[in-house]
Amino acid sequence: MNLQKINEKAFIKHTKENIKKQLESPDQRIIYLSQITNKLPQIINELYEQLRIITDRKYPTLDSYISIKEYCNFIFEKKITFTQTKEINEILTNDIGISFSEDEKRTTKEIAKNILDLINTKENILKDIETLFEKNYKNFKEIAKTTIACKMLEIAGSFERLLSMPASTIQLLGSEKSFFLALRKNKKTPKYGVIYNHPLMITLSKKNKARFARTLASKITLAIKADINNVYIADSLQEKLNKKIKNYNRDNNEN
Amino acid sequence: MKINNVYNEKEQYFTKDLLTEKKRYWDPKRSKVCAALKKNISVFPIEKTSCILYLGCAEGYTVSYLSDIVTEGKIIGVDFSAHSMQRFYLLSQKRKNIIPLLEDATRPEKYKDLLNFKVDVIVQDVSQKKQIEILKKNTDLFLKENGYVMLSLKTTAISQKKPKEIVDEELNNFKKHFKIINFVKLDPFEKKHIFVIGQKK
Ligand SMILES: C[S@@+](CC[C@H](N)C(=O)[O-])C[C@H]1O[C@@H](n2cnc3c(N)ncnc32)[C@H](O)[C@@H]1O
Repeated sequence: MNLQKINEKAFIKHTKENIKKQLESPDQRIIYLSQITNKLPQIINELYEQLRIITDRKYPTLDSYISIKEYCNFIFEKKITFTQTKEINEILTNDIGISFSEDEKRTTKEIAKNILDLINTKENILKDIETLFEKNYKNFKEIAKTTIACKMLEIAGSFERLLSMPASTIQLLGSEKSFFLALRKNKKTPKYGVIYNHPLMITLSKKNKARFARTLASKITLAIKADINNVYIADSLQEKLNKKIKNYNRDNNEN
Repeated sequence: MKINNVYNEKEQYFTKDLLTEKKRYWDPKRSKVCAALKKNISVFPIEKTSCILYLGCAEGYTVSYLSDIVTEGKIIGVDFSAHSMQRFYLLSQKRKNIIPLLEDATRPEKYKDLLNFKVDVIVQDVSQKKQIEILKKNTDLFLKENGYVMLSLKTTAISQKKPKEIVDEELNNFKKHFKIINFVKLDPFEKKHIFVIGQKK
């Protein structure tokens, strides 16, 4: 073949366009934002531990009464955003009277500020993810709920691949590891993947969980299809799910 | 086996870099093609003038070495990951015998208008299910008569079967569409992989 004849420019143009389309697409944005928010808590916790190497000396056990954000606000600018219970007051009044040097004050303030910034970044990213879902995959988000929808996207790798999956695959998404392990050991294969953590699943009995997982997965599949077709059906899907749950509860009460 | 611009020194493989003409170490742990050479695969159907379609090129580690070999040929690298392709694209800018193609190898109909010619060799390393089906579809459309395929077959459990059975099953499946010329297991460089060289039936 005459290699000169290959239209290389056409390949390059095509590839550049596809790269741009993929990397700018809302599903890919959600996936990388979600990957960042998955990692941030760990980073925040590690920094928080470093901060407390110093601050624990003056306020021992304060961390067990208030949140990281409240703690850091207090260290950063003495802002009290928590209720001062008796226990907390005892810690804050610090009867041994240990005080920080100027250097320590500066260092702790700086670390606390860093942590607050990271917490803020995380909250903002979560809002961005919410908005991306709201604009592009509203049905999916409403039915699967944001956290689970994110996980599903991460595992599938793209919205297009989710779209091509049957409900049975959606139901098991995220159980791949235990699925293959079960196969190898001749044990029962799992019945659900990440949808196990869906808020509607929590209240159900084990038997109903397995039944409901199937229904939920099929509704998620429908929601995904609706998003691609730009129609809004989440309310009616949600209603059907609620009805199912009600029926389970009624069955339980009758037994 | 004599391969253009490839040297074997003390059991290690090197190529002559297309850009710098310097000796370049080829790591069998990072490249299944090199691992196959290390495991003494008996044929290597790539020559100086070959035109190669490479499915699953990732960022182009292996392709960069093949590009040292096909000094008068071309390599079209296909991958569906934009992240990998972005790096592969930069590689193709530097090495003039590499052409990037961001597409899904399971759907060759989507790029058959662009790839409107036949190649001498198809190399495939996609590490996923339906590997042979993917290869079959692409060879039907893009491989010359008597062209060669070089396939890295992942043989991890997709069922309760034993490893040996999986290998046999995959090879039988391969035989349905291709003539097996030679195959080698890639361990210890790559676990649970075999590398098969075949020819269009
Ligand atoms: C094991 S890596 C390949 C490594 C590469 N051959 C090397 O040796 O440098 C597998 C690659 O196949 C790609 N891949 C998997 N399925 C694919 C498909 N259906 N179409 C195109 N690329 C695919 C993945 O994105 C990944 O980059």
